Amino acid sequence: MSRFTRKLRKWSVDVLDLPQDLVFDLPRLTMIGNKQLLIENHLGVLHFSSEKLRLEINQGHLEVDGTGLMIKAIMPDEVLIEGFISNIQYLGTGAKP
Amino acid sequence: MKTPGLTKLRGSVTVTVRGEQLEQFINALAKEQIEVWNLTPISVDHMRMEIVVADYFRLRPLLKRTGSRAHVDGRAGLPFFWNQMYRRKWFLIGFLLFCAGMFCLTSLVWDVEVKGNVKLNKEDILQTAREEGIYPFQWTFRMPDQDKLSKDMTRRLPGTSWVGVSRSGTKVTIEVVEAAQPKNTELLSPRHLISKADAVVTHIFAERGQPEVGIHDRVRKGSVLITGQQGDLSVVAQGEVRGIVWHEYDIESPLVRKEFVYTGEKKEKGYLYFGNTAIQVWGYGKVSYDKMQTLTRLDPLTWRSWKLPIGWMSENILEATEIETQQTMEQAAARGMEGAKLDIKVKNGADAVVLKQKILHEKSDNGKVYMKVLFEVEQNIAEELPIVHHQGE
Repeated sequence: MSRFTRKLRKWSVDVLDLPQDLVFDLPRLTMIGNKQLLIENHLGVLHFSSEKLRLEINQGHLEVDGTGLMIKAIMPDEVLIEGFISNIQYLGTGAKP
Repeated sequence: MKTPGLTKLRGSVTVTVRGEQLEQFINALAKEQIEVWNLTPISVDHMRMEIVVADYFRLRPLLKRTGSRAHVDGRAGLPFFWNQMYRRKWFLIGFLLFCAGMFCLTSLVWDVEVKGNVKLNKEDILQTAREEGIYPFQWTFRMPDQDKLSKDMTRRLPGTSWVGVSRSGTKVTIEVVEAAQPKNTELLSPRHLISKADAVVTHIFAERGQPEVGIHDRVRKGSVLITGQQGDLSVVAQGEVRGIVWHEYDIESPLVRKEFVYTGEKKEKGYLYFGNTAIQVWGYGKVSYDKMQTLTRLDPLTWRSWKLPIGWMSENILEATEIETQQTMEQAAARGMEGAKLDIKVKNGADAVVLKQKILHEKSDNGKVYMKVLFEVEQNIAEELPIVHHQGE
């Protein structure tokens, strides 16, 4: 994405008050308590174990920690995680949009 | 929650995947849009997941690409159930045959019962029913409608006013209501009514036939009272003729009257009995009565209406004695007369009436009263005499 288009998009988001996930391909996380987590707009699984799940997202990684994690369902850009989630962490997202 | 719909119908398998690059494998699954769910990591290079059967065969290229191996752990859903059933098809066929057999046997008529027939023959009714289509081992669904059956049976069976046909389960009940028939009159041969004793007629009523005598006529034994001969026609003479008849009785009546009475003393004995053997339980000891009467009562064990040959028998032994009472001559005579009057009633019918009695002779001798009595009795004097036609000669 060129610098100009990024700027244009940011401007349109600010002016038109659009949701950012649609425009910037940012992940959208829907969490129900600590039991269920739906992540949209992910780019693939990097690591998967019952304690840790790392997903690739637009900029950097998203790490979900917990116990007894399992992928309830997975689709090209959506993943539904179940288990006891204790921590959600963004990694390597230093770059400003 | 996110499991694809109708997995039970489509059939799903639980697969264990083993490999170094499980993450790539998961990404590939997502990219290929293969429906998987419940992905559970077991260890670093093991993972379990569930997948629709149809998609299982799409896994192979992905497995190959990511260097993983899959192993099927469990199968669930309708296709696998059908497979299992197919393997046990003979059992299934047997079960279905059993159900069909049961259905067939319960839709047969097993028993035909006839109720309410008195004059009609059961076999005739059953035969008619057979012709109408009710017989054992007939299919119940082949039987005609009940109201039609009822109507046809009523029409075909003479002497019935209504025939009801009802079926409950495998049993058909034919209920017959017989038509009321006029009474059959007795067939009698032509006859006269004649007198059975010498008498004076007091009353004559001829229902059929010609009266030959009138009131106050003297008749001899055997003379015709009502004749059955009316011109050339012979009829059954019928009617009532009463007359006064004299009966002479020799009566003897004792002056001492003996009576058998209980003294009030009694002894009880109890027995247990089995069939024809009885074992005494109580009431041992000799019975020292001169005269006695024994009353025995059996009390068998019963179950519903069945009497068992085992039970309790009780015996009551009652002491008795004879009392002799001295009577006056008048008392003895009266008793003798009563006996004679009873005898008249017994011999000449209950409607015989004693009009007069005359003691011709009376004497007392040897503790007895001897009497000769003449009774004047009004009674039925008619007797039947068949008319015999003499032919030829």
